[in-house]
Amino acid sequence: MSDIALSIAQARTTRPRSAATVLRIIQTICIFIIALVIVSPLLLLVVASLKDDRFQILADMGSFRAFWVSNPTLSNYAEVGHLSGELAFGRYLINSLIILVTTVCSGLIVNSMAAFVLAWGSFKGRAVILSIVIALYVIPQESIIMPLVIMVSRAGMSDTFAVQIVPWVASPLYIFLFYQFFAQLPKELLEAAEIDGASFFRAYRSIFLPLSLPALATVSILMGIETWNQYLWPILVTQTDYARPIAVAIATFFGQDSIYWDRAMAASVLMMIPILGLYLAFQRWFVSSFIGSAVKG
Amino acid sequence: MGKRLLWSLVLSSALSAIGAQAAEKTAIQVMHQGDPGFVAAYGKVAERFEAANPDVDVQFIYAPHDAYNEKFSAAVMAKQLPDVMELDAPFLANYVWSGYLQPIKPLIDKDLLDDMTESNIAQGTYPIDKDLYAIGLTDSSVVLYGNKKYLEAIGARIPKSVDDAWTREEFEGYLEKLSKLDGVKWPIDTFRGYGIKTEWITYAYGPILQSAGCDLIDRKAWKSEGTLDSDTCVDALAMMQKWVKNGWVVPQSAGTNQFFAQGNPAALALGGHWVYAEAAATMKDDIVVLPLPKFGAKGASPDGTWIWAITKTSAHPDISGKFISFLLKDKEFRTYVASQSGYPGLKSFAAESPLYAAGGPMAIAFEQASKTAVARPPHPAYPTITSAFMQAVDEVFNGGDPKEALTSAAKKIDQDIEDNDGYPPFGEEQ
Repeated sequence: MSDIALSIAQARTTRPRSAATVLRIIQTICIFIIALVIVSPLLLLVVASLKDDRFQILADMGSFRAFWVSNPTLSNYAEVGHLSGELAFGRYLINSLIILVTTVCSGLIVNSMAAFVLAWGSFKGRAVILSIVIALYVIPQESIIMPLVIMVSRAGMSDTFAVQIVPWVASPLYIFLFYQFFAQLPKELLEAAEIDGASFFRAYRSIFLPLSLPALATVSILMGIETWNQYLWPILVTQTDYARPIAVAIATFFGQDSIYWDRAMAASVLMMIPILGLYLAFQRWFVSSFIGSAVKG
Repeated sequence: MGKRLLWSLVLSSALSAIGAQAAEKTAIQVMHQGDPGFVAAYGKVAERFEAANPDVDVQFIYAPHDAYNEKFSAAVMAKQLPDVMELDAPFLANYVWSGYLQPIKPLIDKDLLDDMTESNIAQGTYPIDKDLYAIGLTDSSVVLYGNKKYLEAIGARIPKSVDDAWTREEFEGYLEKLSKLDGVKWPIDTFRGYGIKTEWITYAYGPILQSAGCDLIDRKAWKSEGTLDSDTCVDALAMMQKWVKNGWVVPQSAGTNQFFAQGNPAALALGGHWVYAEAAATMKDDIVVLPLPKFGAKGASPDGTWIWAITKTSAHPDISGKFISFLLKDKEFRTYVASQSGYPGLKSFAAESPLYAAGGPMAIAFEQASKTAVARPPHPAYPTITSAFMQAVDEVFNGGDPKEALTSAAKKIDQDIEDNDGYPPFGEEQ
């Protein structure tokens, strides 16, 4: 091949390669911009929590100054941390953690067990019960909240941790999520377990549950976020700071006359950390659960 | 084993002793709202009260401002009403009519009752039996704050008293001039940032309609159609819509402090008396306090605030009354409230508040109380009245038709009254 022919061949191969590089750069820039847009509220929250003037936070809100703090301070965190008496922030944070851990752990057990029975149980009417469970999902929480308040107060559960956990442990959505996952697993697993002499419960506990890590992760994250952000329910059923969660404490900063943005931002950042931790801990399985459901179609 | 048993016995007897001591105390529950400053102040008052009354345990039930009514409804349904409760004055008629509150006069120190201002008595009085059901240290008002620098730049007239208030033409003329002035982003902050979850719209904008010559409801016939949807009200709301459309009003998304934010982007502010402390601290001599403009033949300003009542179900009304009396007299609490530019509801508190005394920077606000204050309709249907009106205003500010929005609100209000047979004895008075 002559030198001219070689250079022509090289040009033919580099042109598409350089076009691909340009495309990749454009893609990267686009992804970066989208990521920035998604992360910006979070960034704004953290930056605002480091400003010592609540009026400055609002004044900066409409400009890029919202993402910049010239003299960062942790005074808002200190103030939030030092609130005493009724607004003891640490107390509310611990309350929230207790409620979160208990609700999620109980929810995983109860919902997965219910789903397993509905998926592989050998009794009549499973399909009807499943339909009822799915139908229950469409009932909005707001429509049953007041009757529920009466029920729990008559049961003597007001102002306890239990009142914030028990009503929300069993959920049609999570039962359905587990049901879908269990139903996709091969029936041979259950048959093999039965041949080996395992009970129905043993098959659930030792075989199906360990296989359902993605479902467990998904339910943990969704249920965790839902529980962590509960606001109206704790206000309605609790009286004191004994069992009240952090979302109620943060609402104190939004008074009738003034909004304490500085402290609200700091408290929000602190409130965000545990749920972010939960997400990061389960993120791998959470993502694989979504990929799995997409592939399985 | 024996040692463990012994320790258990010692521990359990110690716990029983503590338990018995706690059991001897009489507990009263106090339901309230408020920002962190007030929450802390209430806590300190309770500590002092408990120190003065060692046999009493004051237990607070805090409900966030935006969920206060929901919390109250839940407490009613669960039959867990507290002994003492803070309530927003315009809701008093509804609570008394529903049978939740008891007359407070026999339970409060007499010197405090004698000390109440006229508007404080009015906000705590049920119009049917004329009995007092609630009392407060404070009342409230809304004024027009102005940035002196901007007002001088456009040559605006500065009223010296309530009688001297701007007319509608003057006010709108100044808004237009301010909109063209350098440095002014918005001519006026009407504190839209408070949203529709608070009482702000009815409380602050209702008097604009009243000043224009109409009202939320006919206060004799207790019928809203023909009043709220009248041409006068429609015209007043259309006027406010025009301010929003022209970009003269600070948008809801900009928050609630653009009058005294850095750079002073808003030239005027239709704000509550509580704005003064923060605004004056930031603006120093640039702030000027003006009476609310006259949008028709007369002036009108709001009143009423969060006041203290004793529930009918209280097992300890005497101690509850004692606590309220203690709270209203507490020197340190008064000092704190005064530092927050608390609007006096007691004559003695007014004397302690140079801010509102003659010649004080907020004297005009206090002058409004006796000359132009109009209470929100003292009727059991008030929760519906305020909710319907706020929705209508919000709709109009977002581009809706004023006539349609007010007609719909008036119908909702009348329907609620009809559904409750006129809320007798209110209906029987017609």
